[in-house]
Amino acid sequence: MAHTKLDTVTKVFTEDDGSEIIAVDEVSIDIDDGEFLVLVGPSGCGKSTTLRMIAGLESITSGTISLDDRVINNIPAKDRDIAMVFQSYALYPHMTVRENMSFGLEESTDMGDDEIRTRVEETAEMMGIERLLERKPGELSGGQQQRVALGRSIVRDPAVFLMDEPLSNLDAKLRSSMRTELQRIQDELGVTTVYVTHDQTEAMTMGDRIAILDGGVLQQVATPLECYHRPENQFVAGFIGDPSMNFFDMRLEGERLAGEGFEYPLSSDITGKLDDSPVVLGIRPEDIELIDGTGGDHEYAAEVLVVEPMGNENNVHLRIGDTRFIATVNGMRRITEGETVTIRLPEKAIHVFDRETGEALHNRRLDEELAEPPV
Amino acid sequence: MSERSVSVGDETSDETTTAFDLRRIGLYATMLGLVVFYLLPIESGLVTSIKTSEALINTQPFAPPGPAGVTLEKWQFAFDTLWSGMINSMLFTIPATLLCAVLGSMAAYGLTLVDWRGQVAVFALFIAGIFIPYQAVIVPLTQFWSQYAMLEMRLGLLLSARSATLLELIITHTAYGIPICTLLFRSQYKTMSWEMIEAARLDGATVWRIYKRIVLPLSIPMFAVVFIFQFTQIWNEFLFSLTIIGSVSDPAASATLILSGLGEALEGVDYPLRMAGAFITALPTLVVYLLFADEFAEGVEV
Amino acid sequence: MKRVLAFLRRRRDESRARTDGGSTESRSTARRWLDNDFVRSAPFWGPPFLLMGFFVYAAIGWNFLLSLTDYTGFGGADYSSLDFENYRRLFEDPAIWEATRNTFVLLVVFTITCLLIGLGLAILLDRQVRFGRGFRTIYLLPFALSFIVTAQFWRWMYNVNDGIVNQFVGIFGIGPYNWLGNPQIVLGAVIFALVWQFSGYTMVIYLAALRSIPTDQYEASRVDGASTLRMYRRVIIPQLRPAMVSASVTLVLFALKAFDFLYAVFGGYRPRQGADILATKMVREAFGQSQWAYGSAIAIALFVLSLAVIAPYLYNQYTRGNL
Repeated sequence: MAHTKLDTVTKVFTEDDGSEIIAVDEVSIDIDDGEFLVLVGPSGCGKSTTLRMIAGLESITSGTISLDDRVINNIPAKDRDIAMVFQSYALYPHMTVRENMSFGLEESTDMGDDEIRTRVEETAEMMGIERLLERKPGELSGGQQQRVALGRSIVRDPAVFLMDEPLSNLDAKLRSSMRTELQRIQDELGVTTVYVTHDQTEAMTMGDRIAILDGGVLQQVATPLECYHRPENQFVAGFIGDPSMNFFDMRLEGERLAGEGFEYPLSSDITGKLDDSPVVLGIRPEDIELIDGTGGDHEYAAEVLVVEPMGNENNVHLRIGDTRFIATVNGMRRITEGETVTIRLPEKAIHVFDRETGEALHNRRLDEELAEPPV
Repeated sequence: MSERSVSVGDETSDETTTAFDLRRIGLYATMLGLVVFYLLPIESGLVTSIKTSEALINTQPFAPPGPAGVTLEKWQFAFDTLWSGMINSMLFTIPATLLCAVLGSMAAYGLTLVDWRGQVAVFALFIAGIFIPYQAVIVPLTQFWSQYAMLEMRLGLLLSARSATLLELIITHTAYGIPICTLLFRSQYKTMSWEMIEAARLDGATVWRIYKRIVLPLSIPMFAVVFIFQFTQIWNEFLFSLTIIGSVSDPAASATLILSGLGEALEGVDYPLRMAGAFITALPTLVVYLLFADEFAEGVEV
Repeated sequence: MKRVLAFLRRRRDESRARTDGGSTESRSTARRWLDNDFVRSAPFWGPPFLLMGFFVYAAIGWNFLLSLTDYTGFGGADYSSLDFENYRRLFEDPAIWEATRNTFVLLVVFTITCLLIGLGLAILLDRQVRFGRGFRTIYLLPFALSFIVTAQFWRWMYNVNDGIVNQFVGIFGIGPYNWLGNPQIVLGAVIFALVWQFSGYTMVIYLAALRSIPTDQYEASRVDGASTLRMYRRVIIPQLRPAMVSASVTLVLFALKAFDFLYAVFGGYRPRQGADILATKMVREAFGQSQWAYGSAIAIALFVLSLAVIAPYLYNQYTRGNL
């Protein structure tokens, strides 16, 4: 168990033609002992490279990574006391499950055979794979292989767990049950875990905190709810949440925001934060309300383009003028395509971003009873 | 489109089935004809090798002799002449094959599964080595063995002249076999999961241990391919035998070298003897090939 | 080699100085040097590389040096006076021109015929025939045999008196011919025998490529209404190009160095007139006549011809990322 610290870590790849690509750009994250940190971002954002630098599989161009205040930049992977679960599981196909799990102990410790056997069997029991010990990976289902891969890293009792999209090869059902299982195990063991995924749902549900990367640059490190409600910039706001946040290009004109097709009056505590540079108004689909009647300040008539029924709720694709957006509404409500509905965009739920920098100028207000106070 | 799909449906009628059968028959006839083409020279050699001189004159070259025209005399004679060559060929082919396979596997591992800059350039040098015409190295090669290395003289106390020549052949065949073996192993190693190798690294295994415990056990099928393929290549080789051994009467003469001079006499060529000799020389490769045709084909494919 | 190592070490040191900003603590340079992947992989590819490099690349260099001497007969070469005399002789030797011509005829006819027959065989075997593996084993069988062995068979096949080939052409009322003695036809006879031995090889290469084409494509072209012939011509054969290229390279290079078969079929260093190629000429000059230096010059010519095939091929493979 260890406190892991990334300090302005940068990775530059040099291509064959000599050009340089900055894969990770001065990323600093403090990972607490026992914390479950999720690194999330679109593909190519540098999350896997970051993980591989922590593992020691990739050299660090500049900056430092330290484990319990010990700089590990130049310590080879095998001496870092780190275990990793790979997307493809990377099991050794010619070894039985038992041999797969013993391998790391044999190679990196001087434990005796008996001790190794006991440890492997205990871990297998915890993972519910004790009956598979004598089988080879080829004879196991995807879910079982996944458990073996986890077991193989757990058995080594590492200081840090690294996981590189470990659930992405499972089908949807299995994935959600493995998600809970993984959390249970991590809770039980209390091992610092860094988990890479491109799936924001995984990030939201699993992480103590999530770190969002884009283009190699760290966008925000915070608890899932904080990222959801108080995104630091437009990228985070758009990345977290499904369907993603609606964005409208606007400009401040006096007491209101003016955009294509509609205007949005603002109260003075928000206008105070803005100047006359272009902004983006953001609102989550689930915050848009369908109401009866019309005429209020933040109420608009919108045309229904498409309705996607999800069962418990409907995703309604709407249009005001040429501006398209999505609202998520109760699934019991009947809406037909082509009809005109009245919507409200409540002022307490809106976010405002600087259109140039993407920086959040105003985030939504939260009711007092909501989960946790903003940090 | 709908018209076409109708006509496709019609093709299941009896008429087309017959046409289809005829086509199948034509296909198999062609393939059997080709079997004759590929086997005839070999079959003709086999029946000729057991013919008495009379039967040789009186029967067609491809027809088997009658019971009276059969003799194993030529086989007996060819066997006696080739026996020492067969032993010699075995003595250098098997060690050279093993060495090639091991060194090729190691080179391929170092050039594929350990990541470093410039490995492609080094690998290209290995690959180019496959295609080098032996003529371009044969003069320096014989010079090197006969005038510089001179194993016979230097190791005279340890090795007989024959063993020294065989050792030269082992080293030569190993050196020239490494490129193709490296290519064969690399073609497999490139498909190995890179994540698996990284997992082993994180598990604490060193480069050597990863080779020994992960890569080597997983390359056993490829070792079979390389053994089969390289064994036939070295066994069949002739130019090195001719130039390094030099003479048919040398105690280290290989099977192919002896065969090249077999049955040559002033009164003409003794064909049955040559055929018998050819079969005896080819026997080890034939057995290996017929037992492991799939592995051989795989070795050819890469 | 030393300079490469020094360069790598320097680069590493530089990057370390940059990354650690002085906090390198006590880990010794030597230790980290040993962790370098280049260094750790060297024990694996180094020894094979040295062995192969000496026998292939050093030998070629040495061969070139020898070609500049006037080394003949017994004893050693005298490296003190070097000139290009042997290359001048090469250009003035009419036998070289004849051998070059024969080499190119062999190379072109042999390669093209093997490619065509191999393609035909592969397409036949690809049509879901029963005993497909048995047929493949038979067609590839000659390739597994030594040239010295197959040469014996073909001497017998081409026998003037009652050889099978003469009996066969006799059915059509022509012949008998002295296949291996007549300068007009001897090269053709040799090529025919070599095609017999190598067409199975091309078949295997094509077959592997055919089998890697997804069945969807066959089905798609069927649905599009293409006939079998058109399907092969328009859809399948264009995809066999890489296989064709690699098979051609092997065949051309073989044709350049073919020696064993000619030596065995003619029973000595000198092939019958009309069948002499550069490869046989080279070995004959060196080992038959002890004209070592001249033989080396011919060998360099052969090497340059091979290089003209290998270099573009390897470059092509490199740019496609196949290396």
